[in-house]
Amino acid sequence: MLIVLLNINLEILSIKNAAGRNIMLALYNTNSICLQLIYLPLHRTTDKTDSEELIIANREIAFQNEEKENRAAELAIANKELAFQHEEKEKRASELVIANQELIYQNREKEERAAELAIANKELAFQNEEKEKRASELVIANQELIYQNREKEERAAELVIANKELAFQNEEKEKRAKELLTANRELQEAQEDIRMLNEELEQKVIERTAQLVEANKELESFSYSVSHDLRAPIRAINGYTKIIDEDYGDRFDLEGKLVLQSIIDNSKKMGRLIDDLLAFSKLGRKEVAFAQLDMNDLLETVLRELVPVENESMPKFNISLLPEAKGDKSLIKQVWINLISNAIKYSGQKKNTTIQIGATSENNMVTYYVKDEGAGFDMQYYDKLFGVFQRLHAQEEFEGTGIGLAIVQKIISRHNGATWAESILNEGSCFYFSLQKASYI
Amino acid sequence: MNYDNIEILFVEDSKDDANLTIRALKKSGFTNKLHHLTNGAEALDFFYCKGIYSSRNQNDLPKLILLDVKMPKVSGIQVLEKIKSDPHLRSIPVVMLTSSNEGPDIEKCFALGANSYIVKPVDSDNFFNAIREIGLYWMVLNKLPG
Repeated sequence: MLIVLLNINLEILSIKNAAGRNIMLALYNTNSICLQLIYLPLHRTTDKTDSEELIIANREIAFQNEEKENRAAELAIANKELAFQHEEKEKRASELVIANQELIYQNREKEERAAELAIANKELAFQNEEKEKRASELVIANQELIYQNREKEERAAELVIANKELAFQNEEKEKRAKELLTANRELQEAQEDIRMLNEELEQKVIERTAQLVEANKELESFSYSVSHDLRAPIRAINGYTKIIDEDYGDRFDLEGKLVLQSIIDNSKKMGRLIDDLLAFSKLGRKEVAFAQLDMNDLLETVLRELVPVENESMPKFNISLLPEAKGDKSLIKQVWINLISNAIKYSGQKKNTTIQIGATSENNMVTYYVKDEGAGFDMQYYDKLFGVFQRLHAQEEFEGTGIGLAIVQKIISRHNGATWAESILNEGSCFYFSLQKASYI
Repeated sequence: MNYDNIEILFVEDSKDDANLTIRALKKSGFTNKLHHLTNGAEALDFFYCKGIYSSRNQNDLPKLILLDVKMPKVSGIQVLEKIKSDPHLRSIPVVMLTSSNEGPDIEKCFALGANSYIVKPVDSDNFFNAIREIGLYWMVLNKLPG
């Protein structure tokens, strides 16, 4: 049996039987805890004496002692081992303590860190939230910006196009400007030319005007002289012939009387020719006094003079309402008189004819017409119709000096109008004249 | 020659016109004493009693003056001007006679105060009628003021 004593401070207690013999040894540690019970063998010593038994017991004890010493040595070794391990453990323990303290310190530090971190965390969470709000605001702002950006880009694109357009227009304008400058220069040159020409013209106009004034004066004095000096002898011829007829008529036979009458008629006619010629030449010199003309009123006046009383031999008048025109009242009255008296005269050889008077308007002109159903004229002689002293009918057929239509044409041309006619021989004529509308005064 | 009580003073350079005018007046029954002068200078002498008229009574005035416009030397218009600007002669009716209505004579004559203006017609019948009407109006119908 191997007993390892861990503690050298052992107490050994020997337990005796009733015969007083040791039967067992008890090993106790310092703490009175029994570690081992060792049974001692009982020898039949009935024939042996006590001494012999003691020797044997001694030997037994020595052996056991030896065993115990062996054990003790082993225990000592184990103990040393244990002590070493103990030391080691203590070292470890103190290291652990230190490590523990270190850990505790670190722990505390970590807790402080953790608390700080918690605060920082909250702060961060709050900031995060704020940042998220900011971020969502920024997202909206961003979208807005993106939209604005897009708009701006579109604007920019449009501006680029507009810019190009402007640049092009600019170029065009510059071209125009250059052209204008050139044109301006040319104009200035032309104006200078015109100014010089104008000066020359003015000079010429002055000269011409002086000449015209002179010619007009001459013409006037010619007319004056013609009318006075030519009329006087004709008047004398006419008057004296009349005296012969009145005072000495009874001394003439029929033929003589006819001769006297011819002298009287011819002198009368010459007087009329002179008057007509003068009237015609006066038209060219007379100032045209433009005014608004009530044609219906004027026509009524003319008809009262020409047809004082309606009678069977007169044609009927069919008159439309006439628009107003611009003209010289006395001159236009003369036109109406000449045209209407012509219409009456050339209708004279027919019965129950009608004279139509009317007007048509076009743009800024009014065209008046006098249409008869009388003798008419052959259109192949139209070019002579408005000539001075031109007649398309024989004197015996229709009286007249041939000045009436020439006067009409002259008056209308002085009004910047036109005169024309249409006719069918033996069926009638229509005479037209145009004047500017009254609103164009 | 007696220049007293002349009722019609007739100033006309044309012998023919004068003959016809005088004949027309006579034929129309005007027997009033008529004196015919042939130019304006004579007319002025007559009114201002000069030359051959120096012995004439200046206050003896005609009832009517027939004055031709166109005359040599002193024209009818000059005579008219003299008469109408003279308070002594102004009230005598003056009828201007002319061969034509050509020129500015008509306006001038009326501006100077002529009482009538007659364009002598070529046709003798018309001429006769014109003269007769002048005589009728100025010698019979028109009474002088006072």
